[in-house]
Amino acid sequence: MSVEFSRSTGDWLQTKASQVRTQLQFIAEDRPAFVSLVVLASFLFLGVFGPVIAPHEPIRYSVLSANGVIMRLHPPTLAAPLGTTAYGKDVLSQFLAGARPTLIVGLFGGIATGGIGFLVGLVSGYYGGWVDEVLMRLTDLTFSLPFMPMALLLLTFIRPNIWIITLIIAAFLWKMPARVVRSEVLSIRERTFVKSARASGASDFRTMFGHVAPNVLPIGFLYTAYGVAWSIAAQASLAFLGFGDPTTTSWGRMLRQLFASGSIRVAWWWVLPPALGIAAVTTSVFLIGRAYEEIINPEINDHQ
Amino acid sequence: MSEFQRFLAKRIGISVLLTLVAVSVIFFTLRLLPGSPFTQLVASGNLTEQQVREIMQLYGLNRPLSEQYLAYLRNLLTFQFGYSIRQSRPVWEILGPKLLNTLVLLIPALVCTAILSTLLGMVAGWNRGSWLETGSIVTTTFFRSTPVFISALGFIIVFAYTFNLVPAFGMRDITVTPNGVGAYFSIDFLHHYILPFTVAMLYYSGDFLLLARNGIVERKGSAFLKLHRAKGLSETEQLWRAGRNSLLPVLTYFALRLGMVFQGLILLEVVFGWPGIGRQLVTSIAQQDYPVVQAAVFLMALAVIIMNLVADVLSAYFDPTVSMGGGN
Repeated sequence: MSVEFSRSTGDWLQTKASQVRTQLQFIAEDRPAFVSLVVLASFLFLGVFGPVIAPHEPIRYSVLSANGVIMRLHPPTLAAPLGTTAYGKDVLSQFLAGARPTLIVGLFGGIATGGIGFLVGLVSGYYGGWVDEVLMRLTDLTFSLPFMPMALLLLTFIRPNIWIITLIIAAFLWKMPARVVRSEVLSIRERTFVKSARASGASDFRTMFGHVAPNVLPIGFLYTAYGVAWSIAAQASLAFLGFGDPTTTSWGRMLRQLFASGSIRVAWWWVLPPALGIAAVTTSVFLIGRAYEEIINPEINDHQ
Repeated sequence: MSEFQRFLAKRIGISVLLTLVAVSVIFFTLRLLPGSPFTQLVASGNLTEQQVREIMQLYGLNRPLSEQYLAYLRNLLTFQFGYSIRQSRPVWEILGPKLLNTLVLLIPALVCTAILSTLLGMVAGWNRGSWLETGSIVTTTFFRSTPVFISALGFIIVFAYTFNLVPAFGMRDITVTPNGVGAYFSIDFLHHYILPFTVAMLYYSGDFLLLARNGIVERKGSAFLKLHRAKGLSETEQLWRAGRNSLLPVLTYFALRLGMVFQGLILLEVVFGWPGIGRQLVTSIAQQDYPVVQAAVFLMALAVIIMNLVADVLSAYFDPTVSMGGGN
């Protein structure tokens, strides 16, 4: 009995592993998705090691010329390979250090967005009735409270730090995965294996997490990935408007200082690193998501 | 009452309720969080205690919260937004023109991109695997996922600063004094308009393109198209038939986007110095001008609620297979 059990578990693992392999192969064949995967890997590397390999302290250190004068708005040189800011700071160091807050907000914001949305969608779709009604009206409410204005409003009163920002993002963005997961659950709920699980006496909890959840997990992952991109975009936008964490350097904050100092006309070396960083990461997530969407959802439903 | 009428009544009821809740959330967020618009003025020594008391009385801020709340509800729902604290003019006098500027910029952009990128998406879906499909998807995905202020900065650097083709900032030349409708039909205005308009269009293009493309991909192999092919319709005619059947998601998505037009591109307005409602909101938040903030956020929420209702009704009306239970 136990031998049989472990054999079937082994088989299960093997089929799962080969499924994962097929999906990775699929992504590797989609040229844009493959390039995106490489971009994301480098971003992950920057987020983890960026602050460590940054040659200087990003905020306090000022680049000095040979005769000891602070170099302001200087194009790339040996001393500052990506030039300096209007305040004489090293752009390369700010770029490297700025990857981490971007990564943290993106990762945690995305996971929270996907996680909450997944749970709400699962419970709402599985139970239906008044539970569904209440939860769906709640998502309608977060849809009708506009994200950007509400976030700005809250952040004028609460001193922004990356955790508060992550929290606000998750509080407003879980509605997207919730709706999509719910509609998937609605169709899976009616399938035979779910009905027979319930008929054989499995509890609601068990049916929901053991039988329904695994089948909507791919959609949950997909929207978690999208959540990462939304969080990064939202964090950068808030920082650009001056509602970022004032104690750390982030790519959004770099762009704010650039814009506010009026140096955008000349300092291309200051614009490009953070701008391309954000654009590359968010675009990559979406391109991978799109390729992935075609595997898990061959009929390609609309985005409602 | 028919089933559709019942559905309509329920949806409208929910929307009204949502408006009330949204309005209340805005009110209590503003009241319960620490800080008031006057603490700053008092701290900077610009107002005496006596003056503050008088102003508080004038704005009704000294009355009990519940009374303030009822007055606030009554005023908002009759579109009486009160007076701005910083500018001592009616809020509507400030917001009205800003709202118009936002709509003048974004609605044409939304309509143009809905038409153009839907057509492009249909062609892309029809030619699966072509460079046109990959290219259009990658390009529009880039503009859709990149925060709008980054593409805006890019366009400003290239077209305003490097090639000096268009101005980088504002809605009209500072020497121009606008008069009436003519203000929106001058070469100078067009000159300022073209860049933000283009960026907004590109930003919106991605979703329309993908929706249209997916609709075509989904239907390309379907039986009714095989029938059309057998009847000898040309490629273009077949594409047109397939497209017509996949326009519903595009249409409902258009309604949702329209609802978000008011709040959507705050950052675009800030970067281009476009005097719209989004940029005004950022300014008013910085100045803690409660009445203006309240009214602006209310208008943004109301637009979303109304257009959500329209989108729901549209899809229920055109596609009755979609359940009309609202929640089931």
